[in-house]
This record gives sequence, structure tokens and C-alpha cells, in this order.
Amino acid sequence: MHSGEKGYNPVARNRRIAGSIHISGEPSADEGGRGAEAVVYHTLRETPWLGNEMAAQMKSAGSMRSLAEFRLIPRLETYPRAVSFAQTAPGKVALLAAFALGSRYFLPDFFSTLPLTFILALITFMPEYRRFILAIAPIVFLVLKTFQDPLLLGASLAVIALGIFLYWCVMRWPKSRFGQRPVLYFLSSFTALILLACAVPPRSLLDLILWALVGALASYLWFICYALADRNSTPARDLTLEMETFHPVWGSTNTPFPKGAAYLRRIEAQNPEQLAIVQLKGLKLLTWAILLAVSQNLWNAFFHGYLRIPMPDQALAMSVQGTPVAWHLRWECQILAFFEIVFTFSIFGHRIISACRMAGFNALRNTYRPLSSTTLAEFFNRFYYYFKELLVDFFFYPAFLRYWKKHRRLRMAFATFAAAFFGNSFYHITRDWPIIRDAGLWKAITSYQVLFFYNAFLAAGLCVSQLRKRKPQPASFFRARLLPAFGVGFFYCMLNVFDADERMYPLLEHIKYLASLFFIHF
Amino acid sequence: MQGKAEIHEFVRELLTNSGDDQPLADSDSLLVSGRLQSIDAVEIVVFLEEKFGIDFAQIGFDKEQIDSIDAIYALTQTVSNSN
Repeated sequence: MHSGEKGYNPVARNRRIAGSIHISGEPSADEGGRGAEAVVYHTLRETPWLGNEMAAQMKSAGSMRSLAEFRLIPRLETYPRAVSFAQTAPGKVALLAAFALGSRYFLPDFFSTLPLTFILALITFMPEYRRFILAIAPIVFLVLKTFQDPLLLGASLAVIALGIFLYWCVMRWPKSRFGQRPVLYFLSSFTALILLACAVPPRSLLDLILWALVGALASYLWFICYALADRNSTPARDLTLEMETFHPVWGSTNTPFPKGAAYLRRIEAQNPEQLAIVQLKGLKLLTWAILLAVSQNLWNAFFHGYLRIPMPDQALAMSVQGTPVAWHLRWECQILAFFEIVFTFSIFGHRIISACRMAGFNALRNTYRPLSSTTLAEFFNRFYYYFKELLVDFFFYPAFLRYWKKHRRLRMAFATFAAAFFGNSFYHITRDWPIIRDAGLWKAITSYQVLFFYNAFLAAGLCVSQLRKRKPQPASFFRARLLPAFGVGFFYCMLNVFDADERMYPLLEHIKYLASLFFIHF
Repeated sequence: MQGKAEIHEFVRELLTNSGDDQPLADSDSLLVSGRLQSIDAVEIVVFLEEKFGIDFAQIGFDKEQIDSIDAIYALTQTVSNSN
């Protein structure tokens, strides 16, 4: 089930930084605008039903407010009659049917929509069993998906059991060394396991078992990390909720959507009205994802079909072969790629979060108006929210809270590099563990030279962005919004030159390509 | 309640700097709701370290601990009582 995508791994582009184009009419009042606040806050005071890091952004929009308040998709959750209807049996059926029909757009056939719809129907009609259903369903899906591969199934079940066991240990012995820094120990152990797997003779039984474990652990790595980090939150100690966050039914990549159980506890619908509201928001988000997907198809047909502008990897390949495309085409494909990642990430994130909302959790969007960002750090936050949160939770804060406390700027820079460089690199290396298995550790590491450069480039940009003092915003829209947003877009366009999951060319070729954009050839 | 007023003033300043002039109640969610960003959480952490001597490396850190003025105040009280 998971993300329900075939043949495309959105995580492979985690490093890519772009975001959704905000077209006025995006159903965003639920998160960004204050319009929905009155409706939502009066019943849902203690949960972040409106929340997003962007909530404050709209407030200062001034003359843009009326434009920003226009919606292509109406704010259904603010209509009392719609909310009431969604709480009735026919309303629930209508919501589920609409969601299934919408999901069909992204799936090969209608049959593929049934498993998730069935689970959502159970939750909708029996919300008191939500946690139990969501805890069991991922296991059932896992068994159904992998029963023909006993090794994979066994390894996956063993890893889930390990995650639960470690969670229990942390709760049982919070003062132990492991209990105090469980994520550090867990990630270190995983690294040691990879090294061990590299050391055993290839094609032996032990080799087979170890790499199966590495694969299963890599898949569940960050889910278990969130469970372990849950020790600090209150009220924790709910095993069913922890279990349902291990590759939840609504889908995820290797990055947990939306974070872990602690977050789910805060955003869970507590009564029928809240469930109706969040499900309406889920349906709206799915509708928005479909509109974006249609737009993306039109975009591709026009730019890459009709105008025949190459994709960035094609342009890079031609440059490497000594037959570069015209300079304006290089620029065009770089700029287009920036917006295309916008579409891709918005669509896949919206699909997952819409299903999560249908399950009764009012999760924040993964991608939210990144093109309105005026700083690099803000863009990073808006582009892939849950990946950024992962880096912040497991790398930034641990580094920030422990090191260089007396040197404020160094402290910030160190923590930013810990997250954006080290954490980002670690995430991708462990995610792509088959490369280590197939090529060997050293060759795999060297094949990541472009990734390391990308991450260093990104970390440096974020560092500068965060260390710059906030200044009062200039009055003019051009200077306050447009110019900074253009600068942010330019940075990420250039950064994307180094976004190469294929690892086909050495770093130098990417640098040459970047230089050629500025008419520098060497 | 001196400490709480100080916390309120600090959070109010953070919100104002990010363009948020909405009313602020002590129980309002700050981070989970999105009114403040991760970088603001860092500011709060530094504020608590400097003003109240809280060492998150020792006590563990979760954003929930600093998600509202009430939560922050409760944290300062817990830490000061344990000292």
C-alpha cells in the first residue's frame, strides 16, 4: 500500500529542493489562512488543526489578502451543513466514495483503491477502533505484499518486532545509556550492521541474511527512530499508536509521514465533528493533488513535447558527450526542472497527507507554498516538511543542544551542517543500501561525491540563511517578497545541477555544466 | 508568575518578528500549530538556557515541551523544583 506508487520512488529526490507553485485557489485556508480559524479553533483548541509553519505568512499579506482568499476548491470544512452531512452515514459513504474515485486517478485500476478505502471505511464507521485498525493493517498489508518472499517477510517482521522491543526498552529503562540516547545508539548499530554485512563473504547464507536485515531495517529506520524519540513526549506509552506509524496505511516514503506517534496523538480527531472536518480537508487535498497532476501533464506536454526542451539529465549527458545543447536550452531546462519538482513533490505529498486526513489525523501538508519563501531556510521547510523535520529532530537538535553552547553562531552552523550535510548524506546512503551491497563500501561512498557536494552546498546556503539577522521587511512587494523569492529560486535551480540520483557522472562534469551556464568553459 | 510574564513577552516578540500580531493566549500552540518555526524553537531553547539554566541535553528535548507559554512555564518550574 504505502504511497501506492509504482516505479517511482519520490524519496530518490529527497535532496531536491523545489516546491509547489501556489496558485491562488489552492485549498489552503485550513493551514495558512485565518479564515477557517474561527470554525476550527472553537472545537479543536488543543490540536493543531490550523497549524502549519506558514500560518503567520498570510497575516501580513495586506493587499494580497483578497487574492489569496480566493479558492478554486471551496473550504468545505467551514460549511456547517457539509460538516453535519459528513457525520451522517450517507455523508460518510459519499466521502469515502469520492476519495476512492479521486485515488483512482493515481492508480492503475479501481481495484487498487479498495484496500485503503476499506481500511478508511472501517475507521470512519468505527472510529473507536481507529488505533487498533491502523496498527494491524500495515502488518496485514506487509504479509500480503511479501508472502512470496519469505526472507523479506521474515526480516521485515523481525525488524518490526525489534522496533517494538527497543521502544519497550526505552520506556522501561529511560535512565540507561541507551534510554537516554536511543536514536544515536540505534543509528550507530545500523551502521555497524552494514559494515558487518560488507565484511562477510559474498553469496554466503550469512551474507544473504544480513543484507535482508539491512534492507528491512533501512525501510523502517526512521519510523523506529521516531518511536524511540517518543520517550520524551507526553502522554506516550501507547504501543498501538507506535505500531501504526511503522509504514502507515496512508503511505510514506522512507521518511515517516507525518512523523511519529507523538505527533499523531496531537492531531487525532477526538469526536465525530472533528473527524468530519479533517476528512473534508483530506478530500480537498486529494482534489488539489489531482488538479496539480493534470497541470503537470499539460506542462510536460507543452514544454517537453511541443517545445522539445530537454530534461536536465539529458542536457547534462549531451554536455558530457561534447555536444551540448544551446545555452538558452540549458537554462530553460534547469528552470523548468525546478518547477517540475514542485509538481512532483506536491502531488505525492498531498496524496499521502490526504489519506492520512481521511484516517482522522489532521496532518500538516508536506509541501506548502514554497515559492512564496523569502529565505533558503524557509524554502527548505516548505518544500519537504517531513523530511526537514526528520533532519531537525534527529540531527539538528541533538547537535545544537550539546555542542558549542558558548559560541552561538558556530553552534548554529555546526547544527545546520549536522542536519543538512551529515544527516542528509546518512539518510541517502542508508536508503540506497543496495549500492553498498553491489559495489562495495568504498566504491559506493565514492559514487556519492555529487551527493556530498550537493549537501555541502545546501548546508552552506542554509547556514548563511539562518545566521543572517532578520531585518524588518521592506514596504514594497517587489523588495519584500518578489526579489527574495527570486533569489531563493535561483539558488535551488543552481543546486539542482548536482541533483543526480543516477550517479552517472563525476562531480567535475556537474561543475563544468554549472560553469557552462555562465559561459565559462574548461 | 514573574517568569511567565517574561516568557510571554519573549514569545510575543518572536511572533511579532515573524509578522504575527494575533492575540496570544498562554495555552496557544506555538510550534505544532505553525505560528512559530523551527528556527524560533531554537531561539526559545537559547532563551531558556540563558534565563532559566535549562540544559536540554540533560533533560531531553521534545517540541511539545515548548509548544505553549504554559508548557514552557511548566518546564521551567519542573526544572527549578528538581534543582
